[in-house]
Amino acid sequence: MEWAKESLEKVERSRETRLHQPAPLPNEKESENILKNFHPDYLGKERTVGVGPNAGDQKFPLELADLLEADSPLPASHSTEPDIETDVLIIGGGGAGAAAALSLEGLGLKTHLATKLRLGDSNTVMAEGGIQAALAENDTPRKHFADALVGGHGENKTDLLRILCESGPEVIQWLSKLGCLFDRNSDGTFRLRGGGGTSVPRVLACRDYTGLEIMRVLKDAVRLSSTNILEEHAAVELFDDGNSTVTGAVLYDRKKGSLVNVSARAVILATGGSGQLRLQDFPTSNHVGATGDGLVLAYRQGCRLKFLDSYQYHPSGACYPEALAGQLVTEAIRSVGAQVVNAEGVHFINEMAYRDVLAGAIIKETREGRGVTTPNGKMGVWLDTPMIDMQKGEGTLAKQFPGLIHRFERYRIDPVKTPILIYPTLHYQNGGVSVDAQCRTEVNGLWACGEVTGGLHGKNRLMGNSLLDILVFGRRAAQSAKDHLPERGPLTLTNLNQFRKNQLKPKYSPVFFPEASKMKLELGALESEVKITESPSSEQTGSFEPPDPFAR
Amino acid sequence: MKKIEIKISGKPITARAGETIVQALWSAEMAESVQTGCAGGVCGACTVTVRYADGKPGGTELACMKPVEEGMEVFPCPVESDKAVEPVANADALTLQSVFPTVNRCTKCGSCTTACPMSIPVMDSVMRMQQGNFNEVAEDFTTCIHCGLCRFVCEDKVKPHNMGLWIRRSLGKNQDELKITIEDSNQVEKEWQYLLIDEKQERFQRAKKFRESGSL
Repeated sequence: MEWAKESLEKVERSRETRLHQPAPLPNEKESENILKNFHPDYLGKERTVGVGPNAGDQKFPLELADLLEADSPLPASHSTEPDIETDVLIIGGGGAGAAAALSLEGLGLKTHLATKLRLGDSNTVMAEGGIQAALAENDTPRKHFADALVGGHGENKTDLLRILCESGPEVIQWLSKLGCLFDRNSDGTFRLRGGGGTSVPRVLACRDYTGLEIMRVLKDAVRLSSTNILEEHAAVELFDDGNSTVTGAVLYDRKKGSLVNVSARAVILATGGSGQLRLQDFPTSNHVGATGDGLVLAYRQGCRLKFLDSYQYHPSGACYPEALAGQLVTEAIRSVGAQVVNAEGVHFINEMAYRDVLAGAIIKETREGRGVTTPNGKMGVWLDTPMIDMQKGEGTLAKQFPGLIHRFERYRIDPVKTPILIYPTLHYQNGGVSVDAQCRTEVNGLWACGEVTGGLHGKNRLMGNSLLDILVFGRRAAQSAKDHLPERGPLTLTNLNQFRKNQLKPKYSPVFFPEASKMKLELGALESEVKITESPSSEQTGSFEPPDPFAR
Repeated sequence: MKKIEIKISGKPITARAGETIVQALWSAEMAESVQTGCAGGVCGACTVTVRYADGKPGGTELACMKPVEEGMEVFPCPVESDKAVEPVANADALTLQSVFPTVNRCTKCGSCTTACPMSIPVMDSVMRMQQGNFNEVAEDFTTCIHCGLCRFVCEDKVKPHNMGLWIRRSLGKNQDELKITIEDSNQVEKEWQYLLIDEKQERFQRAKKFRESGSL
């Protein structure tokens, strides 16, 4: 990194002083100022939408608002004949979907799990830092609750949050029984680390591959279960019974290039987040499928969305080299001693500040000219990784964060010796589909769990609460669906047709893939192949003219 | 930004120096030619083989992590997942042999180690599997993303990554059951009542106080 030589020398020179005199945590007033002036959520890049259950009330990011007002890509002539009959259809193949599938095992129910990609290709598998659970001797679920509520600016749905915190230990027990191996101390107890906003060390990890460890175990267990796995099946639309109860889904089989109608007694949405919408042109740490599909599907069924004016920009996204731009550098790196430092070598904020405040502070540094400019014209600040071994002993970084070393060594950057350059990356969708404590959406027959839901984390999520969220509520959604399983209903597109009576944008959603990838599902081309039978629902729509599915 | 020429399954495209194969495919509107998942190097979807015009040794790569290079030729190499095998508590080398009968067929060619995009010493670890050194194997496979390349390149049908996971999960089944502390329910209920007060501002203030004191 010859181009940054001058700044790196300043960072090295100030290291000794910073080690002994770290920057303090910002106080309330400072935090508020940083958020208001620099956090992307607060810059007004949002608007209300004109259609659907949230019409005219709360604001959505511009990119998402466009999707909520867009039309369905489903041809209006689409047949509603079922191709698959199942009891529970889970949509989403990440941690929440897998946890739901495993919880339905052995109950005598037929379960299908559909995923747009392959089972496990998700944000879960990319989670690095860990999972929170109140397991320390001096910890309790109430402390966990208090930390998360303060972190969420007091906006969290408290009934959901209480369930999350109380279920932590039990979820770790469940994962351990499945064969997950979390890092342990030399005395055999779980190694617990702090995270931004935790008052007690509470984060369990498997090196910096915690999500990978959890996902590969869940994936293996699901493959061993009786779940019918539909990989490369994207959910295009939900069916209802004509009386507002969800009764199944239309999937698009990417391999065969055909639409598949699934009749289900319960549908569990576990579709994850929407980082790939790349709000305000931010890079993202999310997997390629994170395009908010579940939000769109639920919205057309009449489910209200909550808190979607709030996204999490993870403070430490990689900023250099360009090939790694947006990829996550785990918060755990900061919790074990790597400081956040500007181009002048100044420790401008304590790195254990809440994620939203820290992200805002980094943006502020770069805007005000104290950032480091890369050869590609990107700006960032330093994450002083060599400080970890200085404080915790030689070899600590390599031992605890093999993933970080592995990713950077290809570019001849050794984080043990050289700081890495970071800039906030779009990481997590704080809001989503509104659910009750049983994971029921506001529409019968439809449950939701994980990142697609909104309310649990308030306006800012703490590290390690998302892996816990997907497991607690994935299992809970399954339990609730089992307990309240409706009878099988007919498949109609009544809700969709009703929604289509609105003035819709001349574009389609869900978008399924990031815009930058230019990948599209060519549903329109299918129209000639699908059996054209008049469904009762299309008669009801009267003179409605379907949009030209070939138009782009 | 420097432009370079690469080929995808024989088709030439122009890429920018510094970007990955996946980023180059997206720009060239050829995203569908290589399957992707996380695009962050941990899901194992985007396995490819790479060779170079100048005879430099090629090999297997993850398209989302591999930067493009002049004269590079890329071929998609998707690996189908293999049937899962139920883990077994207290497993040893004999148990492993019974569920993965090909474990002893390894001819030590080293292809698996060369193929691994995570730099796992796969072949050495297969030796450790044969000897039943399962704790070391579990450590070796900590970073395994189950892309399946080690199995794909093995001419003797050894399945290193499947065995690695099976060993990790089997060891996981030996763990002592986590004891969950039972707390004094009166005290617990009092704390919840304090924290769950209806009025939002007061609730927020109480949570702040509780974080500092840790109890009532």
